[in-house]
Amino acid sequence: MNMITLIVALPLLAAFLLPISDRALGSVSRFVGPIVLLMNIILIMTLWQKSEGAPFALALGGFRPPLGISFYVDQLALLFALLVSILALMLWPYKADTNPRVFGLMLLLTGAASGMALSGDLFNIYVFFELLSVASFGLVASLRTGAAFAATTRYLIISGFGTVMALTGVALIYTQTGTLNLAHLATLAPQQLDNATGLTAFALILLGIGVKAELFPVNTWVPEVYATASRRVSALMAGLVSKLAVLVIVRLMVLIFPQPEAMQLMLALGVAGVLIGELSAWRARDFVRMLSFSSIGQLGLVFVAFSIPGEAGILAGLAVALHHLLVKPALFLLAERWGGSLGRLEGAGRRSPLAAGLFVLFALSLVGVPPLPGFWAKLLTIVGLLGQAAPLYWFAAAVVLVATVAEVNYLFRFGLTLFKREEQSAQVHKPHARIDLGTVSVMGVVLLTAMFLIAPLGERMQTIADQTTDRGLYISTVLGPVGGAR
Amino acid sequence: MSDPELHWLLYGGAIGLIVIGAAGIVMGKHLFRIILALAIAEAGANLMLVVAGLRPDAVAPIITGGMIPEQMVDPVPQAMVLTAIVIGVGIQALVLSLAIRVYKAYGTLDMREIRLKMAADIDAEAGVDDEVSQEGPAGERPLELPDAVTSGGPGQ
Repeated sequence: MNMITLIVALPLLAAFLLPISDRALGSVSRFVGPIVLLMNIILIMTLWQKSEGAPFALALGGFRPPLGISFYVDQLALLFALLVSILALMLWPYKADTNPRVFGLMLLLTGAASGMALSGDLFNIYVFFELLSVASFGLVASLRTGAAFAATTRYLIISGFGTVMALTGVALIYTQTGTLNLAHLATLAPQQLDNATGLTAFALILLGIGVKAELFPVNTWVPEVYATASRRVSALMAGLVSKLAVLVIVRLMVLIFPQPEAMQLMLALGVAGVLIGELSAWRARDFVRMLSFSSIGQLGLVFVAFSIPGEAGILAGLAVALHHLLVKPALFLLAERWGGSLGRLEGAGRRSPLAAGLFVLFALSLVGVPPLPGFWAKLLTIVGLLGQAAPLYWFAAAVVLVATVAEVNYLFRFGLTLFKREEQSAQVHKPHARIDLGTVSVMGVVLLTAMFLIAPLGERMQTIADQTTDRGLYISTVLGPVGGAR
Repeated sequence: MSDPELHWLLYGGAIGLIVIGAAGIVMGKHLFRIILALAIAEAGANLMLVVAGLRPDAVAPIITGGMIPEQMVDPVPQAMVLTAIVIGVGIQALVLSLAIRVYKAYGTLDMREIRLKMAADIDAEAGVDDEVSQEGPAGERPLELPDAVTSGGPGQ
């Protein structure tokens, strides 16, 4: 089981060695990253088989928790670690003229993201979060245009203040409990964090980590960063980085802050995100910014879903998050050649019918048209919201439905533009690169497969949600009678 | 000064620094001042962590000459602050280097001008007329940036 540390260590090692070894190895270094990611995928798969779904904890450096730093490996953590590697492999910058330093940054991002998914220590999470941030700054700026540098600077300042808030929240928790091990915190939280200080700490951490998760008041960086970064990086950030921030918040919420006030705070911010994101996307007049704003709206929906108390919330949130994780990167990859204002794209779909067909498929799923997986995700959310007594939840359900109407409007408007009869003013767009179109097609196949396998997938997710909400299991696995399982 | 008072003073100082930093980031116009405000806010958060482990009548948690002191300050927050300071310095170096790049590209460090020029660049790339910009605040139209499109070349 010690192999699990390799998932974090290997990409980090490769990331720091790549820029040095690039001189010596030359073009060989291009294959290092994908090989490391493939190894990661195989490692995680074997671990998942071996552990048979049972969670286990790992005390790093031989210090037993709560003193040492621990990794907690359950199905949710493994699932996200697996998705990190798979998505990074799919969105790898394969272009021949890529600067080798970009490979290093990609690997850094993968290692930090896996560490965030696995870590069971609050401060450790903070460190991985910072590492993830730095890697994403580098990736966003890697196009080296003036606009990219300006967008990165603004993003860095917001993100930097976010980490200050998160760190203050961590300090507040430490003053109350004297520990930062999540399992230990979970045992102490009911007595020591169920008060105003605990709630303040949660709000600070929520806002701090929420910067990456495109949470409502701290998401002004989203449209400009996604518009100036390369599409693959935008896809990675919208699909993956945001979900990992959400994962951390959900872990904290389940283990440490199960107060209804904390949930309602998240719900309110999520609702604001849905409303503002979808309405801005409706107003946007170019594809990339439409996708960026739509991603704010979808992340808002993820927060809304996770703020439903109990297992139903985790299940709904997981469904919405996984669906968005698949669909948004695909749409960003399609935007690679469809940048530019909507007017310029008239008739573009007639020239590349496969890309246009895939767009329609993903758009339908994003909106939530019945047999597609997006429908089930939205259904779970709406049903969960309506099952709650508090009026705020009913309001949230109404907002989600209204936002869906806006979503239908802008996505279909774009779809219609694609299929418009060509005018004489229509501009010639380059066809999609084969690698992009291939990746998107694979994603489309995954989406269709998920549609047919929705029942077993739902059961699988139900077991993951059960395991995630089980605080007792977490505590006994990490601190239990045996101590850290080695 | 008695110890509880000292504690409150330190907590107040930490929160004050964070608030000063936040105000600087939100209200600042000059990029360099915003970066300094970020540094101040980071210092506040670090102070907060140190104070979290502070105990009255305690010494630094260092064992010298085999003697174990009676009362030691909690060493965990100090170790964490060390990490946080290092991360903070790294981030500040990164943002400064980015600021240099931005200055080279746009020739200004005024945040509002940078924002407008960046928005114009993005609009130009997307082919949307910047006449009705998505990014521009409602009161600022029409955007008087005749050279905005041309000056936004690559960073180097």
